[in-house]
Amino acid sequence: MPHSRMRFVAGRILRNEGHGDIFYRLEASVPEPVEFEPGQFAMVSGWPGSDPLLPRPLAIFRAGAGQKGKGTVEFVYKVVGRGTALLSGMHPGEPLSLTMPLGRGFDLGGDGRLYWLVGGGVGFSTVFPAAAALGRRRAEHEMFLGSRTREQLPPKEWTPGGSAPGRVHLCTEDGTAGYFGRVTDFVRERMAALADADASRLTVLACGPREMLKDIALAASARGAEMQAALENHMACGFGVCWGCVVALREGEKTSYRRVCREGPVFDAREVVW
Amino acid sequence: MVKTDLSVSLGTLRLKNPVMSASGTFGYGLEFAPFYDISRLGAIVVKGLSLAPTPGNPPGRIVETASGMLNAIGLQNIGVERFIADVAPRLSDAGATFAANIYGRTTDDYSAVASRLSELPSLAAIEVNASCPNVKEGGMAFGATAEGVARLTGAVRKSTAKPLWVKLSPNVSDIGSVAAAAEDSGADAVSLINTIVGMAVDHRTRRPKLSNVTGGLSGPAIKPVALRMVWEACKRVKIPVIGIGGIQTAADALEFIIVGASAVQVGTANFRNPRACVEIIEGMEAFMREERLPGIDSFRGKLLL
Repeated sequence: MPHSRMRFVAGRILRNEGHGDIFYRLEASVPEPVEFEPGQFAMVSGWPGSDPLLPRPLAIFRAGAGQKGKGTVEFVYKVVGRGTALLSGMHPGEPLSLTMPLGRGFDLGGDGRLYWLVGGGVGFSTVFPAAAALGRRRAEHEMFLGSRTREQLPPKEWTPGGSAPGRVHLCTEDGTAGYFGRVTDFVRERMAALADADASRLTVLACGPREMLKDIALAASARGAEMQAALENHMACGFGVCWGCVVALREGEKTSYRRVCREGPVFDAREVVW
Repeated sequence: MVKTDLSVSLGTLRLKNPVMSASGTFGYGLEFAPFYDISRLGAIVVKGLSLAPTPGNPPGRIVETASGMLNAIGLQNIGVERFIADVAPRLSDAGATFAANIYGRTTDDYSAVASRLSELPSLAAIEVNASCPNVKEGGMAFGATAEGVARLTGAVRKSTAKPLWVKLSPNVSDIGSVAAAAEDSGADAVSLINTIVGMAVDHRTRRPKLSNVTGGLSGPAIKPVALRMVWEACKRVKIPVIGIGGIQTAADALEFIIVGASAVQVGTANFRNPRACVEIIEGMEAFMREERLPGIDSFRGKLLL
């Protein structure tokens, strides 16, 4: 039986390969299959020594069945610091520690909704599982992916549903692929052009830089659309005990600090104090 | 095979083993139930409780440093009433031994929290936080001097009959005299060290990495400092000393016991490995079997100089 409750498990690297300049795709074997909600994440470590000390939070990209009743889990990550640099140097066969699945993922519950999935930079690794789930359900959805340049977009074969026409919109800041400009601007343009009836049934699911999330959240709110934003933050534990990863949320008249790892990482964008 | 006995006494309190969770790194304890049976711990020390819920510091609360981390959480907590109503009964149901770390701005605040918690029959002990470096009032403001610790300990002592532990700050020049002040004012044990005040700066933005500017350093980076201070405190006081600071393995825990600690608390290691505490207990059992040691007391304080 796959487990959907968090566990701390020993895994083993099956694959850890670089793609383009910046992404790595890591696949690990784990003792049991994992069932996760799109948007949930794992705390991953395995490099030797205690510097850095803490595991890295990585969105779960895919999970499946492995050999002999075991499970597999995949992550796509970008090298941003010492921890991910050390992780990128690890080889198949080497051990990993994983705590997963963690946090609250996207709510894909609404029938008749129109979903727009927006991934900025490596944020696609968080929204692709949601796209796959919506695709399985044949829910109406489109995807918007942005990066600085063509090489920093995800390989086509990773995209759920492949490249169905009109389904996936690429944006590059240098114009080397798709829309010439930021994904934020493209989404805002499309949102402004949306018929009222469609805007009111639109749910945006987004992960990426904070500025991108903020600007799209404001645009969505102006059109009366819903938005769920997957936030990132530095984390020590990942399962709610250190209180290090909080963000300010609006709750009625007040603001409260809520944990990205536990109450998030997916939040109703209207509640986030940007 | 002889069954290993890891039990220890902290004054009148008997613990099944000397391994506790350190306050602030273990939530309210129940968060660890998915990882193991939390009744296996010597004790759980829950996150610092104040009279009213506390919002804590703005984001930018943690940053990693070489073999350690800085935090400036600012004691965000649910408050003593919610702890008593919602958490304590569930800890009891789980069979856990638990102590409450307490915090206030004034000695009256501390006394009020201690007094309220004393009504909980299931509570094993009260640990007074005289050492949080991340709040403007209370915490380290008391722990910075022997006089402050004496005043705080004396005040809380009057409001509770529970075993009273005082958690000390390493940010002092003479830990021995601070520990002695706690002992003389009625503490049943001292626990040390809390975090060491530190700072991290981004050289490109020229800004501090923590919203609070400074924070508390924890993790293996501080273990040598902690070990030295626990050793000094053990030489100075007769009450039990609880060793804290960078403990990640059974060997680390045993080092603290060899310099005289009666028990230990495991903190930051819980973030890295949610099973750290039970792995340390198992490692200590294995060590005692290998060495054919009859109990913790047979090597506690047995540092060879």
